[in-house]
Amino acid sequence: MSTTQHPDVPTVENASIEDRLYADKYTDHEESHLGVKVEGFCTDRCDTNDCVSVCPADVWHVEDDDSVPTIAYENCLECGSCRFACPYDNVVWEYPENGAGVSYKYG
Amino acid sequence: MSADTEPMDTATPTDAIDYDGEFDAIVVGAGLAGSAAALTMAGEGLNPIVIERGQSPGTKNVFGGVLFTPTIRELVDLDDAPLERYVAEKRYGFLSERDETAVSMRPGEWLDEPHNDAYTVLRGDFDEWFAEQAEEAGATVITETTVTDVLRDDEGRVVGVDTDRPNGDLRAPVVILAEGANSLVGEGAGLRDHHERDEVAVTAKEVLKFDRDTIEERFRLHGEAGAAYNYFGEGAVGDAVGGGYVYTNKRTVSVGVVYRIEDAAQGQSPDEVLDEFKQHPAIAPLVRDGHLVEYSAHAVPEGGADAMPDLVQDGALIVGDAAGLVLNNGVHLEGTNMAVESGYHAGRAVASAISEGGVDDRALATYETELEHSFVVQNLEHYDFFQGLIAEDREFIFRELPRALADAEAEYFRMDRQPKEEHVQNAKDRLLEAFGGRLGALKRAWKYRKMLS
Repeated sequence: MSTTQHPDVPTVENASIEDRLYADKYTDHEESHLGVKVEGFCTDRCDTNDCVSVCPADVWHVEDDDSVPTIAYENCLECGSCRFACPYDNVVWEYPENGAGVSYKYG
Repeated sequence: MSADTEPMDTATPTDAIDYDGEFDAIVVGAGLAGSAAALTMAGEGLNPIVIERGQSPGTKNVFGGVLFTPTIRELVDLDDAPLERYVAEKRYGFLSERDETAVSMRPGEWLDEPHNDAYTVLRGDFDEWFAEQAEEAGATVITETTVTDVLRDDEGRVVGVDTDRPNGDLRAPVVILAEGANSLVGEGAGLRDHHERDEVAVTAKEVLKFDRDTIEERFRLHGEAGAAYNYFGEGAVGDAVGGGYVYTNKRTVSVGVVYRIEDAAQGQSPDEVLDEFKQHPAIAPLVRDGHLVEYSAHAVPEGGADAMPDLVQDGALIVGDAAGLVLNNGVHLEGTNMAVESGYHAGRAVASAISEGGVDDRALATYETELEHSFVVQNLEHYDFFQGLIAEDREFIFRELPRALADAEAEYFRMDRQPKEEHVQNAKDRLLEAFGGRLGALKRAWKYRKMLS
């Protein structure tokens, strides 16, 4: 995209990820429905962190290439992108129990 | 819900009753495919149960925005359905970084019922209503219950499902998997393969609220008429294979991007791509000042016919997104109609197998045969060439072509003191350059000849 905005193109106020997720309705669940299968794959083999790149909800975070991702599972939109993206098939991905997690009103 | 005789856990009403033997079929998921299957079976006098994980049908479901209704119209009375707007205008916009070249169409015929069977809907409303229609026809729908696995007998035949409810197993002669793009049960049970990441797209979408007048003025609409805009090119999703969309609902606008997870892994995250798409000079005036009421994301299976699993296996039938029934060839972006069609054929196959006394795979195979003869598989096979072609030609389609079109337009209409002949020649030269000369243009015309046929 062009770095300088033309004055006749209106500026769209894009919400931050936090505000986007705040617009959604969630039902809490205590146990994470996401995880990694083998931590060694994350710490030793993976240096691309595709789980972080593909996530539309900032669920996955990696401090440095040698660390295991931290997972803000409560933000998850249940899209499944990380499940498909991980080249090591190392993502544990289940549905939150009993309908917990995100509840779309519009969809 | 237990096969043995131990006392039921009474945590919730659904746990308190032993359902085994009560139902002719179990449907996993109350989306379009699942409810269509349940409705069809109930209409044939069967007693199906639909197990949905969401708090109500639709709460876990996301799509771009257009419901195609030729089959659904045969199953329910759409006059009562929570439709938003019918599609009165389709627009295909090629976006470079700051240009748009668009084809827009408003055939008068689309103003008339049945509006070419294309409506924007909100899945929260529509899927709940559609599941209610299945219930009214005699199906049972339970919610907040996730199917975690299938149950098999000694011979490996699927004879029921397990759920996340206490004593949550349930048996029935047939299981229809309508669990959507993340088919955890199907994959876990070996009924389908895990998709490769270049066969699955991710969509991220915002629903923005406006007053009705603003939508109708911006999109030149009146009454129930609506717009479905699809965008391609680097201004839509950068380097990725995919596109952006803007759909009008009654009082909201859905704006989103959809592109391959392979590209998201190597490039920008979906929320960033969505930010940039919304700020494009052709899009910003349409979506500015909307009040964000929902942000959603979902996976979209785009593997085409090659990625389809065996549709009937071990007493289970696979329908809708779980079977990868999505068509995306750039011009046709369809899935809702294919979900309903597959659910309908699955439901009919189960009814006919049960009435003939056996639900073995041979009896159920009519589902596969019928679907193969339907538009669903016919279209997937006809356009199967497309995904490979577009990936190999992505630089041309998504970057070169939108730029060349905009440059050629600017040149063709250039207002200066040179004769027009010179502008026309410059415009032609620019296009030919992008296409790789006359020979290149011919080659591409040949390669893509099936896209519009």
